[in-house]
Amino acid sequence: MHVGGGFIVFIVNFLIRRLAQGVIIVFLVSFLIFTLLRVIPGDPVRLMAGGMAPDHVIDQIAEDMGLRDPIPVQFVRYMGGVLQGDLGQSFIRPASGAAVGGASFDDNTRSERAEVFDLIADTAPFTLQLALLAMAFALIVALPVGIYGGLRPGKWPDRLALYMGSLFISLPNFWLGIVLALVLSVNLGWLPAIGYQGFAYTILPAIVLAVEIAPFLIRSLTVSVAQNMRENYISVAAIRGIGHRRIVMAHALKNASVPLLNLLGVQFSMLLGGVLVVEFIFDYPGLGLLTINAVLQRDFPLIQGIAIVTSAAFVVINIIVDLVATTIDPRLEY
Amino acid sequence: MITRRSLLASVGAAAGMTQIDPRFFISSAYAQTTEPIIFLSAENITGNWDPTAHTTLSQKNIEAYVMGYLSRTPMRPENPDETNMELAESITLLDGFRLEIKLRPGVKFHDGEPFAAKDVKATFEYGAQPDRPAQWYPGPTDSFEVTTPDDMTVIVDTSKGGYAASLFIFLASYLPMMSAKDIAAGPNGPLSQRLNGTGPFRFVEQRGNDTVLEAYDEYFMGAPKVPGVNYSFVGDATTRILSMLNGQASIIERLEPEQIETLTGKPNITLSKMVSVENKYLWFRCSKPPFDNPLLRKAACHAIDREIIYEVLGESGSPSKNFISPIKFGYIDLDNYPEYDPEECQRLLAEAGYPNGEGLPELEYITSVGFYPKTKEYGEVITALLQEQGFPVTLNVMEVAAWNENLYDREGGGPGHMIDCGWSTGSPEPDLVLRTHFHSSSKRITGLVDPDIDALLDKERSASTLEERRRIIQEELTPMLADRAPALSLFTSVLVHAMRSDLQGLFLYPDGAIDASKAAFV
Repeated sequence: MHVGGGFIVFIVNFLIRRLAQGVIIVFLVSFLIFTLLRVIPGDPVRLMAGGMAPDHVIDQIAEDMGLRDPIPVQFVRYMGGVLQGDLGQSFIRPASGAAVGGASFDDNTRSERAEVFDLIADTAPFTLQLALLAMAFALIVALPVGIYGGLRPGKWPDRLALYMGSLFISLPNFWLGIVLALVLSVNLGWLPAIGYQGFAYTILPAIVLAVEIAPFLIRSLTVSVAQNMRENYISVAAIRGIGHRRIVMAHALKNASVPLLNLLGVQFSMLLGGVLVVEFIFDYPGLGLLTINAVLQRDFPLIQGIAIVTSAAFVVINIIVDLVATTIDPRLEY
Repeated sequence: MITRRSLLASVGAAAGMTQIDPRFFISSAYAQTTEPIIFLSAENITGNWDPTAHTTLSQKNIEAYVMGYLSRTPMRPENPDETNMELAESITLLDGFRLEIKLRPGVKFHDGEPFAAKDVKATFEYGAQPDRPAQWYPGPTDSFEVTTPDDMTVIVDTSKGGYAASLFIFLASYLPMMSAKDIAAGPNGPLSQRLNGTGPFRFVEQRGNDTVLEAYDEYFMGAPKVPGVNYSFVGDATTRILSMLNGQASIIERLEPEQIETLTGKPNITLSKMVSVENKYLWFRCSKPPFDNPLLRKAACHAIDREIIYEVLGESGSPSKNFISPIKFGYIDLDNYPEYDPEECQRLLAEAGYPNGEGLPELEYITSVGFYPKTKEYGEVITALLQEQGFPVTLNVMEVAAWNENLYDREGGGPGHMIDCGWSTGSPEPDLVLRTHFHSSSKRITGLVDPDIDALLDKERSASTLEERRRIIQEELTPMLADRAPALSLFTSVLVHAMRSDLQGLFLYPDGAIDASKAAFV
């Protein structure tokens, strides 16, 4: 166990090491996305300038914006801005944040373009709320089913966990989203489904996402609880006269929570970056919908900004998860 | 084992649950019947509110709520020429080159400025500038003169341009009247930042993908009954229909045929179907080989059986045999419109030097998916029919943004060899289609440069009376277009809207614009 000053030194070293690794990861992700965007077909300048713009105007705009420079040159320039907290301006979106179509090439009266940072800052809280609620729903289902399944290996609770996980993972999220919207919103009128006018609009998409991630949590819990219950320390604890509930709660679950925690970290990070389909179906104004529109419109700065933010979130969440896991099980070294 | 403590804890928790108001978490989707009209649009807007800066249909539809028009034309098939005066009290031809517009007094813009003749003059002169992307006008600003003898009278004189002043009659129902003050502030002024009109709803803000409008109590034809309109871009058709079904949306647009079936018979949903002002076209890239050869274009037209396309479209398309919609001025079923005729196709292919299609290069046919109904499906039909006659065609289906990127003509010819697109303009004026696409000064998509067609377009524009103009369009211009075939008009779109049955009093124009000034939830 790291205690006192040693613990603080450990934390500081840990943070420095992991943050340094994180910076490298974010840098590599940024470079990869940056390069890929520039080699795939589809000219963003054509979208910005409009279909009627002659080729020489397109070339002129692209040159003025530095889009014809070598990719490494563009990347260094871009990262220079990022290091100063400037993610650039959207190629397409006006400051109002609306998803827009192309305008005419000789139109110098377009509204000011939106800052990428503002667009992400406006939409990320919605996705965060959705991800947290989805995680809460998933845990509400996964904890009892997974733990009970792990405590009764080979029995019906274990089979229930297995069947439920198999069922949930087999449901395509776009299909489930539409069916749930039809049943809970259209037929029963219990929940609103489309857009966002308040907290209630988060519930249906969160249920769909919860169904998507619950099988992983259930499986992880079932396996790790069952595994821990077979360990010697559990048998010894019973011999020491510790009650069954305490053995399960304080010993088996505590140790089983480490893999669960890691999985939660990964799933949560994936939720932040991977809610595309669900947000699109429910027209939920989060990062996912923003990403889809940015990709469709070849909005390079926005795609890059979202990639940097989500990869940074991934790194930070995993650092937190590892820190918490270390405090639960001090034997772990990260 | 149940202990006394755990039992009490459970009872306490159960009692606590009864105190939680579930409405905090769950609000019924049907609970908002007194809210503004929620319109879900299939198309996004541009980043510029200047009405002359774009040709985007969804934004034109937003303008219809906010802006005022000198007149409006309902454009119903039974009476396509009907005109109702709005900001104008009368529009009179003084002679072939002079038009007098008498304005309605006492009208104010939403910013409080009174509407007067100077605003009409400024709108006409600004909108006709050659650099304005919308290009609505029969000629550039220096081809006509607008004078204002008094605050309520406007005279348009087209003698400098040599074309008839009557062209402004139909345009009057299409041009949103802008404030002279806004126009004077220049292209980077308030004109591009927000809408300022005299219509029934006032522009409040653009909030993400939602355009927020509120009722303008001083609207000159009576204050609207609904508090406002929220016009939202929702890109996914399934999402729009789910919103309609659960009562969140008041109106949705551009229904696919199977969606019409889904909604038909629902007691709380009403469907509106109307022949629109939009024709859908197969445009040929006429400025590059091989479709720079009219024989080959015509051969391709004779390879296409439009009856199959109508079957694919179901209720979303209506047959027509001209390059303009049947509700446009000058429409007539053309006797020489190219029909499905494989023998004639083969004859023309041979005459063009490509017997059975031999020697033709690989041809690319570009279409979109996600906006217009059934484009991919009928695109596959057209591709198969062309291949059957020997055209080596490949269909390239693109998402809307990429398709839009590839739509227009450019130096050396636009991308691909054929492209699918509709053209919709909310006025009976045929030149908004014909001149825009087939005159060498514009040639938006085709890249067509044909002096004979140019001459006839100029001739009909310069006709001294509407009747003479109609005759030239019907007997000379459109028959020549059918013969030279720079495009094939496939069908006229049927605009299908679904709306809540309790929303009554809406008037839908055939370009998709809506007059909601008398609408109410009943």
